[in-house]
Amino acid sequence: MTADKEKRRAISREAARRRRRVESDVFGDLCRLLPLQPSVQAHLDKPSVIRLTLSYMRTHTLLKGKMEPKAEASHAVKHGEVTEGGEGRQECDGGCEEEERDTEDVEASEETNMYLRILEGFLMVLSTEGDMIFLSDNVSKYMGLTQTELMGHNIFEFTHPCDHDEIRNNLRLTAEEVWCGAKRDFVMRIKSALTHRGRSANLKSATWKVLHCQGRAKVCVAPSSVSCLVLTCQPLPLSHTLLSTHTFTSQHSMDMKFTYCDQRVTPLLGYSPEELLGRSIYSLCHTLDTNCLTKNHLNLCFKSQSVSGQYRMLVRGGGYVWVESHSAVIPSVRPSKSRPGAHQPLCILSVTYVLSGVEQPSLQLSLDQTVHRHSR
Amino acid sequence: MSAGGSDGERTAHRPADPTAEEEVPSQAGSSLPAVELPRKRKGDVEERQSLDVQMDDDLSRSEGEDQQVKMKCFREPHSQIEKRRRDKMNNLIDELSAMIPACQPMARKLDKLTVLRKAVQHLKALKAGTSSAFTNTTYKPSILPHDDLRHLLLRAVDGFLLVVTCDRGKILFISESVSKTLNFSRLELTGQSLFDFIHPKDINKVKEQLASSELNPRQRLIDAATGVQVQADAPVRPSHLTTGGRRAFFCRMKQNRVAGKQEDKSPLPTTSKKKETYRYCTLHCTGYMRSWPSSQLDSEGDTEKETSSLTCLVMVCRLISHVSHQPTKDVNVKPAEFVTRCAIDGKFTFVDQRATAVIGYLPQEVLGTSCYEYFHQDDLQHLAEKHRQALRSKEKIETPCYRFKTKYGSYVSLQSQWFSFTNPWTKEVEFIVSLNRVISGPAHAKDEEAGSSKALQEDTKQIPVIPGLSSGVGTMIYAGSIGTQIANELIDSYRMNSSPSSGAPSPFGPAQEKCLLVSPQTSRSVSSREEAAGSSSQSQSDSGTAAGASSGTSESTGESSQLDLDNMVVPGLNNFSSDEAAMAVIMSLLETDVNMGQSGVFEDLHWPF
Repeated sequence: MTADKEKRRAISREAARRRRRVESDVFGDLCRLLPLQPSVQAHLDKPSVIRLTLSYMRTHTLLKGKMEPKAEASHAVKHGEVTEGGEGRQECDGGCEEEERDTEDVEASEETNMYLRILEGFLMVLSTEGDMIFLSDNVSKYMGLTQTELMGHNIFEFTHPCDHDEIRNNLRLTAEEVWCGAKRDFVMRIKSALTHRGRSANLKSATWKVLHCQGRAKVCVAPSSVSCLVLTCQPLPLSHTLLSTHTFTSQHSMDMKFTYCDQRVTPLLGYSPEELLGRSIYSLCHTLDTNCLTKNHLNLCFKSQSVSGQYRMLVRGGGYVWVESHSAVIPSVRPSKSRPGAHQPLCILSVTYVLSGVEQPSLQLSLDQTVHRHSR
Repeated sequence: MSAGGSDGERTAHRPADPTAEEEVPSQAGSSLPAVELPRKRKGDVEERQSLDVQMDDDLSRSEGEDQQVKMKCFREPHSQIEKRRRDKMNNLIDELSAMIPACQPMARKLDKLTVLRKAVQHLKALKAGTSSAFTNTTYKPSILPHDDLRHLLLRAVDGFLLVVTCDRGKILFISESVSKTLNFSRLELTGQSLFDFIHPKDINKVKEQLASSELNPRQRLIDAATGVQVQADAPVRPSHLTTGGRRAFFCRMKQNRVAGKQEDKSPLPTTSKKKETYRYCTLHCTGYMRSWPSSQLDSEGDTEKETSSLTCLVMVCRLISHVSHQPTKDVNVKPAEFVTRCAIDGKFTFVDQRATAVIGYLPQEVLGTSCYEYFHQDDLQHLAEKHRQALRSKEKIETPCYRFKTKYGSYVSLQSQWFSFTNPWTKEVEFIVSLNRVISGPAHAKDEEAGSSKALQEDTKQIPVIPGLSSGVGTMIYAGSIGTQIANELIDSYRMNSSPSSGAPSPFGPAQEKCLLVSPQTSRSVSSREEAAGSSSQSQSDSGTAAGASSGTSESTGESSQLDLDNMVVPGLNNFSSDEAAMAVIMSLLETDVNMGQSGVFEDLHWPF
């Protein structure tokens, strides 16, 4: 009896082994079809193979409708043929020579690499559920995790729980928004497995990195309507090696009152730095921009970095200018043994770019603008 | 090999899947627990969230507690882990079959192997349809053909690539996408001087950014750690000027009018002056300097030939998104409306220029005066009540229809929406924003006239008594004092609400006090950190959900049709005094930093930049 049982068990074991082998072979085939470096391919586990296959298929579907942009771009261009790089010839896909396609692909590759390098960020395509359908391969530079490790996973696994609501709101796209290519601009915190020295560490010792995400919605029609967000994600740099004439820096306490302002503000807004100390930024701006400033303030409180978007600052004596501020929270510095004199409370550092000239200089909208008129 | 979540079906040794954190590459010493998070897709976000937070809690513990955590994982039966892994695989297979057209018409669910085989076929078919560059092994293969990647990138970026020489601003290269942004073709721009296309007022700014001369005295650097400006006369490293030096600035560039659209409809020949007015758009330009030792230079006999190097600025110019600039639409201000801002005592601090058309006064004539001076006698009581309400509520308060005295003595009927603005940090009301609408109609006008004459008579006889306020002598003084008294009530309530336990004055005190340096508070904050640590988990979850709620609603502001300031205030923290509220926010900032477990001092914080 037992011998029979043993025999049956052996047969079933063999069958299972055969099944597993067949399955592994198919996985291997699938893996090799993925456009990845062979060295990367060798290290993929089965769930990852499926994950990447899915990503590849989804991105492919997404880009199926890509042929029209070439036509779009040339609507204002009188010249039909373009001599460099054979770009104009893309509109015919039948008779193109392989060589030409290669050249333009090389060109495209150089251009994209250049873009990504200059922007100092990576590209991310998000489905409406938050799946990271596609990430450009330089993502490893910013998150410490490679493209293959991340693609196909859901963004909610990598972002700060407190930001999830905001991300979800941004992912929500109505049909109209998608067709118009609605824009998105927000700040979120993502896990970064990079050490301070730029080396890639384990995800367990991940820190939070603040990313500024900008982009728009994209849709593809066939086979089924799939819409997603295409975003560039950039960490916000704080050190600007060269500030132009039309910028000034300022420091604020956490309630947004000025605690310091550099001299540059005087030619731009008319106030002397001393006049600004203790004043709240909210009183210096156009009322209709209160919303924008509050959002900026909240981002700073919770995420520690923010880009304000454009708002109006009132100029001394009348009128206003359009500005944009990039800010970050500076951790407080306590006096220590090595730095006994050093002291700095938790504060906000802001770099404000002035975008326009003074608009409506004779218009005095705010009490602050009139006070100085009387005192002159 | 850790016991939890071992994947016997791996095709290779090391998993590439970061959520299956089984093996640690090269961590000296500690063997970290293998916590395999169930990969739940679509819909199960809440659970994922809580798991993430859990994971954070795990991670933030110091290394000494690793053993404890490991033990916790062992308690989970192996079968559970196996089941999760199987479920995960099944989910993936289901998704795969949903994506493959060949699998879709099937009535019953296909088995794993078939789905995989069909996936292989599908990929082969996709590859056959794409450009040959895909299979080209001469350069790095990538998930996407580069052309597609570029297309995606341009979709997100909404801008173009630009390379200009630093000496003359000549455009050496500009990408095709410029035609979408500026409506000029690439050919029209290449070789031109950039300055021909920049707004005249921005020319100096751009010139400065292009300057690579070492003699430029206006360079300013910021020390990222302290935010302090480095002295301008410090020797500037050449690297800041040439290769690698980053530039970031905003400028306005000309936009060509779209061919075919006639903007001036007049049949008369347009004057040359009209043709020269262009529209400008604002661009955010970021990039870096690059210099090449040049072998070929244009033969215009420049002095650059001596140095034989070409320095350029390579940058991406991006059309700035107007997403954050939505407010004007949200507020939905119609022609017969204007916006004002008052201090908490009712004194006007900001008046929109549209007010003049309605009330006759110029903004500067009204600024600094109390709004109560313009309200009709009969309306004072209602409005004072609304004022009080607005200061205490986060909601928008609708006033009843009331009369506002214009410059010429007559009254105009207005109806307003008042909402208080609270500083997100101090939680105190800073000002009240008022959206004022004119209510017009002949019936009102008549009533006004009759009413005003009546009111004038009553003025001298009787001053209406508003409960809670002392009445003063003289209408003008009285009017002003209403506002002040209501404001004082609010300030007193702030003082009473501040924590009785704190002996030292709160650094985030009432709005009138100047911002105090936090010197005595820093040490106090650290010591009270231990106290707060006890309640930290609660405040963290409070501020966590609060932050989630507020950021959620702050996002939805874009969708709602009104200025939704009332939802800006973080709910849930109202129970705390401003001191504790501040501490709670700092705690949440700290605790969300995953590395926090290691350090106990502010100095060692690993901030995200």
